[in-house]
Amino acid sequence: MHEATLAENILNIAFEAAEKNHAAKIFKIGLTLGEMAGVEVEALKLSFDVLKKNTPADGAELAIRRVPISATCNKCGKTFQLERYNFFCPECDGILILQSGRELLVEFVDCE
Amino acid sequence: MTLEIKLMKNILGANDEIAAQNRKMFSERGVVVMNLMGSPGSGKTTLLEKTLARLADKIKIAVIEGDLFTAKDAERIERAGVDVIQINTAGGCHLDAPMIQKACTSLNLDAIDLLIVENVGNLVCPAEFDIGENFKAVVLSITEGDDKPLKYPLIFKESAVTLLNKIDLLPFTNFDLKSAREDLTTLHPTIKIFETSCTKETGLDDWAAWLLGKAAR
Repeated sequence: MHEATLAENILNIAFEAAEKNHAAKIFKIGLTLGEMAGVEVEALKLSFDVLKKNTPADGAELAIRRVPISATCNKCGKTFQLERYNFFCPECDGILILQSGRELLVEFVDCE
Repeated sequence: MTLEIKLMKNILGANDEIAAQNRKMFSERGVVVMNLMGSPGSGKTTLLEKTLARLADKIKIAVIEGDLFTAKDAERIERAGVDVIQINTAGGCHLDAPMIQKACTSLNLDAIDLLIVENVGNLVCPAEFDIGENFKAVVLSITEGDDKPLKYPLIFKESAVTLLNKIDLLPFTNFDLKSAREDLTTLHPTIKIFETSCTKETGLDDWAAWLLGKAAR
């Protein structure tokens, strides 16, 4: 249950951004989450909804964009999207190196 | 007026910054750090005791024990004659970089070759938090089941080494060793795998020798 920590960090990042831009109210926070990031989205939303109460983000919603797992072969250099966690190259005997899918980012904050 | 602020900011950025400071500090002081992870009851502390018994006269080791509330594990490790720092997370499910930074202020890092951090028992959260370690190790006990690598891929992807522990219990379970090894290597082709039993004392010498090689660098 580190989703509470994540939700807290997300809110802090959003507050800082809003304050810098002299915005009083946050109504949407965009997240980019990799498919392989260790995050349970339902638990994250629940924590977020509890922690946002009585803050400038009280009415804010989370807009979540998932990033698929992609990896590049260390031999043939081709990039593949992985459905399952198979990091052997399907086309040669190389090993796939993770390129994306671990993202844990606050992409944008909508405020006024 | 609506304002959209583009950020692309790492949610764990604050932790990762401290982790980078820790990593720099460990490297400057010549300490190799292992982050030891695994489920509650997988045998992390017993494995640690057995490891210390094999290595404590060869290199200088210190231990940071992460635990929800108690000092039970730290007391066990203290009996092995190494310096141990207890971190109680008070219900927190993982150790983070600031906790390690704080704990290190009460360790003489210059006198240490290897620092072993035993994380809170959990296969999910500890994998996401960089503490500034050189490498992660994950203990998977046979009784947990062979499906765990693909159910908790991140921790096995992040770890340089997996210990298949309580291997002596294999005949009493339906754990498929071949399938577990296949899943581990497809997920992480370069992962190192040891089969260990702390009650039968098997596989521990090979593991300790590997760890010694890592620490001697």
